[in-house]
Amino acid sequence: MPMTEPAPPLLGSWKRLYALVLGELLLCILLFRLFSWAFS
Amino acid sequence: MSRLDWFVLASALLFVVLWGLWKGRGATTGEGYIGGGRDHRWWLIGLSIIATQTSAITFLSTPGQAYVDGMRFVQFYFGLPLAAVVLSVTLLPLYHRLKVSTAYELLEARFDLKTRLLAAILFLIQRGLAVGLTIFAPALVLSVLLGWSLHVNILIVGVLVMIYTVTGGTKAVAWAHSSQMVIIACGMLLAGVMTAHRLPAEVSFGDALHVAGGLGRLNVIDTHFDPNNRYNLWSGLIGGFFLMLSYFGTDQSQVQRYLAGSDLTQSRLGLLMNAMIKVPMQFLILLLGALVFVFYQFHAPPLFFNPGPVKQVLAGPDAAAYRATEAKFAQARTSQSRKAEAYVSARHSGDAASIAAAKHQLSQSHAESEAIRREGLALIEKANPGTNPSDTNYIFLAYVLSSLPVGLVGLVIAAVFSGSMSSMSGEISALGATTVVDLWRRLVGGSQGQREVWVGRIATFAWGCFAMAFAEYAARLGSLIEAVNILGSLFYGTILGIFITAFYVKRVRGGTAFYAALVAEVGVLACFKFTAISFLWYNLIGCAAVVLLAWAFSFFQPRQALPEGEPAT
Repeated sequence: MPMTEPAPPLLGSWKRLYALVLGELLLCILLFRLFSWAFS
Repeated sequence: MSRLDWFVLASALLFVVLWGLWKGRGATTGEGYIGGGRDHRWWLIGLSIIATQTSAITFLSTPGQAYVDGMRFVQFYFGLPLAAVVLSVTLLPLYHRLKVSTAYELLEARFDLKTRLLAAILFLIQRGLAVGLTIFAPALVLSVLLGWSLHVNILIVGVLVMIYTVTGGTKAVAWAHSSQMVIIACGMLLAGVMTAHRLPAEVSFGDALHVAGGLGRLNVIDTHFDPNNRYNLWSGLIGGFFLMLSYFGTDQSQVQRYLAGSDLTQSRLGLLMNAMIKVPMQFLILLLGALVFVFYQFHAPPLFFNPGPVKQVLAGPDAAAYRATEAKFAQARTSQSRKAEAYVSARHSGDAASIAAAKHQLSQSHAESEAIRREGLALIEKANPGTNPSDTNYIFLAYVLSSLPVGLVGLVIAAVFSGSMSSMSGEISALGATTVVDLWRRLVGGSQGQREVWVGRIATFAWGCFAMAFAEYAARLGSLIEAVNILGSLFYGTILGIFITAFYVKRVRGGTAFYAALVAEVGVLACFKFTAISFLWYNLIGCAAVVLLAWAFSFFQPRQALPEGEPAT
């Protein structure tokens, strides 16, 4: 990524925003697994 | 439908068209018409991306999928956030730096004209055919359940979409998408709340989830690896990743949405917004389907939700046998309802042994009902040879029409129309843009002024007419429809492979990528024809084949300096 690239409006850097997106996916998978287990 | 339902439906659709027309007015250049003026904010881009991929059949079929098969379909979308992050880092900056109008322009800068044209034409073929099905499938469901004419349905959707898409281009499409997403969200949310509300008074939301889970409908995550199993964690994460990478990175119907962003930041945020919303959204739609399944544990469902094939059986020699199976099924379901009530009562008692016994009895009763249903399906299949006896797409709308209150029925049907219109508008707009930018502008030439706006309008109109004509023809395709449905995966892998080669295999030049793509495409088509591999894996196979073949072929290409301005990797 070029050095001049502006930061996103939240979290301060794109890396953190990407981590948020991937973290949410991981959380969803864990919660879905828990959901399946809790109601099966 | 009641007058109130008609009023809600007509008002919603009229608003979408007028809103799109109003917000999309004023395109005076080709760039303004195709690029939407490049002033869209992230939330508009995000809504437009979601709306383009949310066709009517997505949310007609998805609750039905949960009803029949459980919630594991959500795993299909697990590759999306991964793909969105990869695209935000790699392709989006490049698209913005080169100020391209279509994804395929990039390939000429890196390879040559014929590789660009190959990718553009593959897109036009697969998307051009798919857009017809986008409007045909929901029109068929509506015509069967509501008794409306299939042709009138197709005509209404097609004409409404073309009014604002042909007139206003990308900007009109994006703003119409925002209103369509509001209608879809309201319709689905209210349907979900009302479904939970319509369960028997003694059945709480938690009880409903235990009933659904006890009968195998809350199986969200399947970690067992099986390449022939369409929906599991691994096919979603790996196969889905490549599918989403190709769809969001190289399919013009999506690329056009985020290229309309005012800058790279807005485009990225729009794509990431979609990545964060899509998985929970699909989960909620599937949960709605699971709730409909629970609803029918306490109310009698029909043996088969699609009345069309049932009429065929009742008109044939197996009518008596089918009637007898229906009666047997009704009796079994009455018994199953009592077992479901007993299970809920046992849960309220808190006695573990009673709960286990009641759950076992409910499962057994459900298995008996399913066995009878399979007998009915066999009769339907016999009376409708060559067709797939599936009523998945009909379950949700049949439930809405029979069980939801006046007004909400109109809103849900408006949501179905909105879904149909949103995907069709995004797709014909992209088909028009690719025709203008990659074929007309590149091969015929011309200015990007008012003349190009009119060429864009004619191309978009022509693709809209083609979509409607194909939708009419689709009624005669029968079982071939399923093959057309997986068309995307047959081509996406190859297109993605060309783009990945462009990025990461620097030694490959023009003709080499072109011939590698041709050979890989033949390989993917051979996999489809001769193997049982699930279609999601075609994306990986096609992509890997292009990259590996291009790399291998590059050792035989003439030595030549790398062209200047090659994309950085």
